[in-house]
Amino acid sequence: MKQEKRSKWKIVLIVVLMLFVFSFLISLFFRLLNEVPEFGNVAHIKIYGPIMVTKSGGWMSSGTSSTDIAELIEKADKAIGVKAILLEINSPGGSAVASDEIARAIKKSNKTTVAWIREVGASGAYWIASATDHIVANRMSVTGSIGVIGSYLEFAELIEQYNVTYRRMVAGKYKDLGSPFKELTEEEESLLQDLLDQLHEEFIQEVASNRNLPYEKTKEIATGMFYLGKQAKELGLVDALGGKEEAIAYLEKQMNATATLAKYEKPKGFWELLTEVFAEHSFRLGEGLGESLFRKKGLLET
Amino acid sequence: MQKKSMYAPALLWKRFLAFLIDVVILDFVVFAPFSGAIKELLPVGNFHAMQEFFAANASLTSKLTLLLFFLGIIALLYFSILEYRIQQTAGKILFKLHVVSQSNELKFWQCLVRSLFIIPVFPFVLLWIIDPITMLFTQNNQRLLERLSQTATVELIYPKAFTVGA
Repeated sequence: MKQEKRSKWKIVLIVVLMLFVFSFLISLFFRLLNEVPEFGNVAHIKIYGPIMVTKSGGWMSSGTSSTDIAELIEKADKAIGVKAILLEINSPGGSAVASDEIARAIKKSNKTTVAWIREVGASGAYWIASATDHIVANRMSVTGSIGVIGSYLEFAELIEQYNVTYRRMVAGKYKDLGSPFKELTEEEESLLQDLLDQLHEEFIQEVASNRNLPYEKTKEIATGMFYLGKQAKELGLVDALGGKEEAIAYLEKQMNATATLAKYEKPKGFWELLTEVFAEHSFRLGEGLGESLFRKKGLLET
Repeated sequence: MQKKSMYAPALLWKRFLAFLIDVVILDFVVFAPFSGAIKELLPVGNFHAMQEFFAANASLTSKLTLLLFFLGIIALLYFSILEYRIQQTAGKILFKLHVVSQSNELKFWQCLVRSLFIIPVFPFVLLWIIDPITMLFTQNNQRLLERLSQTATVELIYPKAFTVGA
């Protein structure tokens, strides 16, 4: 009798486990379907990590693709019900082209745009933020860094020490300009510096125009120096100090309505989904068990 | 001496509690992983905003229906597989309830049909009302689907007066 009961529970356990796996697969399949639109009147877009035109490194890569962000901004701009766009920025910057692509997408949008700078919103990330209508940063956020960098390691002497020779074969005398395996000549250094200066000039003009700052003043602060949020506000680089609440408060004032955030992100690939679904399954299982065990004992507030 | 066992129509309160236990098991193990997806799908806001959202995203309704359909299928499989295999579910084991066929041997289609009410999409949702109401009007507390599938939920009783001598 006992054995019969034990074997029944065994069967129950096997069936429940099978159904768990089945539900796991279905939830994975479900997420692979066309992306589900988010509900809300504020499109919440994250810009995290280095900013590039395309993400390299496959599904494990970090960083932000300007192609993706520009598409999301465009999508939010067209969405019925979306009245504003909130860009959550935590990025040290990236490529000038990628930053400009996102900035242009922001300026093209007809909706209120707010940049919320978290830990870092510097260089290219600040270029993007400057294109929005309103910037909120924490008093300790690192921002600014209005400059361009093109530094690289030169191995010319090192390879010489190891009797390695750089065989220069070019057609076009500046074709290998910036190659780390040869010494940079004075002329080449001057050319590279000139390019960097041009990019820098673009950056300064963008910030001056976006932030309505006098050109000369902008050039003065565009030394590449980064500023903490508090300093940035004094310099006119950000509009308000605070965090998410302040950003939302501004949006609600502009929209004259309660803000409901809708996550706007690029659909994930298969492997990214697989790890995410597996992690969520484990979390929800633990959450449910934990809640049921501890809420009754009064250890969790309802 | 040996006890002679008998079956009697299961008491309603036992059936109800057994069903609750099964729902809790399904909730923790099978439905919980979907709760994130459902939260993302279902808009929160006033009626007008929700209406506007669904109007702007017509495909969302079908996705939501599909998701609910899959959840229903999983719940259906839980009841039908267990009731076919061992004539009980986890909740029924705890309350000593059994599913029996009124014809011959219990078949899988019978277990499927008797649990169809669990699918949360139209037209099965109509059974949420019709199915339990019929219990009040049948002799053996049978639901409508139990009558259709020719099954019954019974409980094992050991009548104290009954002993069969060796």
